[in-house]
Amino acid sequence: MNRTKREINYGMFILPALLFYVLFCVYPFVTMFYYSVTDYSVSKQTNLDYVGLRNYIEIWDNDLLLYGIKNSIVYALLMTVFQTAFGILLAVALDKKLKTRNILRSVFFLPAVFSPLVIGFLWNYLMSTSDFGLINQGLTSIGLSKINFLGDSDLALYSVVFTQLWQWTGWAMVIFLANLQSISKDYYEAAEIDGATASHQFWKITLPLLQPSVSVVAITAMIGGLKVFDIIMSLTNGGPGNATETIMTAFIKTSFSEGFYGYGAAFGVVFFVAVLLLTMLLMQFLRKWGEKIA
Amino acid sequence: MKRFKALWITLLILAFGVAGCGTSKNNATNSATADTSASVSQSASPSESQSASPAEKVKIRMAYWNKESTVQNLLDLIKQKLPNIELEYQFIENSQYDNIVGTQLAAGSGPDIISIGPPAASQYSKLGYLADLSTLADRFNEAGTSVYSVDGKLVALPGISWFEGIYYNKEIFAKYGLKAPTTFEEELQLHEDLKKNGIKPQAMGAKSFEPMMKSSMGLIMNEFLSLPENKDFDVKYGKGEITLEGNWNAGLEKWSELIKRGYLTKDMLGIDYDQALDEFATGKAAMWESGPWALDTIKQKNPNIQLDMFPFYGSKPGPGWLIGGPGVGFSANANSKHLDAVMQVMDLIATTDGQKAFWENNQGGSSYLKGADFEMPAEFDGVKETFKAGNVYAPWNNWGGNVSGVIQDYGKSLQELLGGKSDVSSVLKATDKQTARIIKLNP
Repeated sequence: MNRTKREINYGMFILPALLFYVLFCVYPFVTMFYYSVTDYSVSKQTNLDYVGLRNYIEIWDNDLLLYGIKNSIVYALLMTVFQTAFGILLAVALDKKLKTRNILRSVFFLPAVFSPLVIGFLWNYLMSTSDFGLINQGLTSIGLSKINFLGDSDLALYSVVFTQLWQWTGWAMVIFLANLQSISKDYYEAAEIDGATASHQFWKITLPLLQPSVSVVAITAMIGGLKVFDIIMSLTNGGPGNATETIMTAFIKTSFSEGFYGYGAAFGVVFFVAVLLLTMLLMQFLRKWGEKIA
Repeated sequence: MKRFKALWITLLILAFGVAGCGTSKNNATNSATADTSASVSQSASPSESQSASPAEKVKIRMAYWNKESTVQNLLDLIKQKLPNIELEYQFIENSQYDNIVGTQLAAGSGPDIISIGPPAASQYSKLGYLADLSTLADRFNEAGTSVYSVDGKLVALPGISWFEGIYYNKEIFAKYGLKAPTTFEEELQLHEDLKKNGIKPQAMGAKSFEPMMKSSMGLIMNEFLSLPENKDFDVKYGKGEITLEGNWNAGLEKWSELIKRGYLTKDMLGIDYDQALDEFATGKAAMWESGPWALDTIKQKNPNIQLDMFPFYGSKPGPGWLIGGPGVGFSANANSKHLDAVMQVMDLIATTDGQKAFWENNQGGSSYLKGADFEMPAEFDGVKETFKAGNVYAPWNNWGGNVSGVIQDYGKSLQELLGGKSDVSSVLKATDKQTARIIKLNP
């Protein structure tokens, strides 16, 4: 009896947070499913009618959303692979006994403390093709031609990815460093006695034992990549054309600029399912990798 | 045990707090439309409030997406001329304006005076949210009333117009013996002459979808939309009865000469509005398309710049056209509890005094009120004839509601055209597709 009473009393501690969570997170999320099958829009906010799967069917007829889905998947995959890879390389390099390692760790981590909007406006000027664009000014001063980083539709998405790798690789590095420091030095000593090279040590000891942090970084990068919004708005606003539209920019434009809330809700449901599936696939892959090395 | 008692007390307070939030929300909703006796009773003595008389102030609310300073003189005038009315000004941030006001109106409340754009005016009017202002329609020019009329009724008073033309640097023009064009062909030649002299003819922040969208429509207004047989084209287009493909092709092909001849270049897709403004203000480019709102910034960057503006031209000489329209309309909430007071304010706005007060905080535009002629800054001397002819128009204002996606798609398709990834026909077909989708989704 005392135990139950105690559990209830402790449970009460989380009630305020739970209340707000349900009110501002669970409730809007659940209503999204309801609105996705109605004709809810800026022109019709009361007496909503059930429209079946009409909103879901319309998604596949909207070029903006289709470009958004394609670009988001490319962006998320590139971010997941390169942020993880560069983060590991940087962490391994800065785990060595270098005199400058603390300074270098701070330097590489520093971009992560800024808002993506600040980073966006900064790179917008750096990559500009106008005479004020620092990078292109440098290129032309050494006799090279300008590169239209953000205005060339074949290049723009990759330019955005580059800025985000520059910003977030340092953050991934910190996660990997924490993991690296938990790996016992005994493994390396034993490997050295057995004659293993540095490369062998990395592939056979370091990388497998980094599996827990790789899971964290990869899944965070994948989810963050799929819902990228702020950096796109500040760097390209989805352009040129639809070259850098992502799921979230397309979602905001469709739902709020055009005012078709029911349609936007349907897209939200599709987005939720897509993120769920991709994350599950990635987790499955990482789990299998973990089991293999266990 | 004391700790748990404290926890229970905290929870009780929280529960009352949440309940309190609900109550205060209701109060807030009610206060938006509540009888003003409540507000009077707060300031007046009980005996005064009991003897409700016409001398009591009626409190009404006005919502706008611009800061109060942009209507300060108008608010002062209302205070002075209508002492029986207390106007509460509510600023709502632009990006959320339509969502907030739309939701309030759907709930049967909302501001008494609604600042509104043409697409929203069309939507709200069809939903019965806006009062009929047709009794004031005769005081305004048709160019202003046409965009705020729905089914023959005036639903908002047109405010001061916004407009965009092409700024040019008079010093650069004088240096090379050039003058402002009078046709599109002369404009092309002007670009060529500047280019030959090593001057970038035109700065353009094509990273945004807007400048090419407006520039091309400027030519199409001259070549196609101003023809008598196309008078109803935009209204028909908004209803899905007609398409751009097959109608705008010739005009857009002609405009695309700016791209084909290398005056608008791919590198402009990497330049935004601010950077283009910098290029023009610092004399690195001779021309730049924009409006009066940019003038202060240009002069801050280069106080010595000498500039003027010319409108968009077509093949034939004439006054040309400016892209623009009523920047904001003032509408009355049909469900307002104080419609009489609201109509008094509307009546005041529809006078020369009212228009002048609003214009004083929004200089550069012109009034649609008949007989209201305010002195334009000298930097717009080159477009005086265009204003006199009443040639200020934005086609999408007559395309009905939800047009932001359509004009964005059109502008983005033009970015693809500039980037060499599309052609004129594809641009128009993509825009038509978006329009058809929006018409289909509208209830």
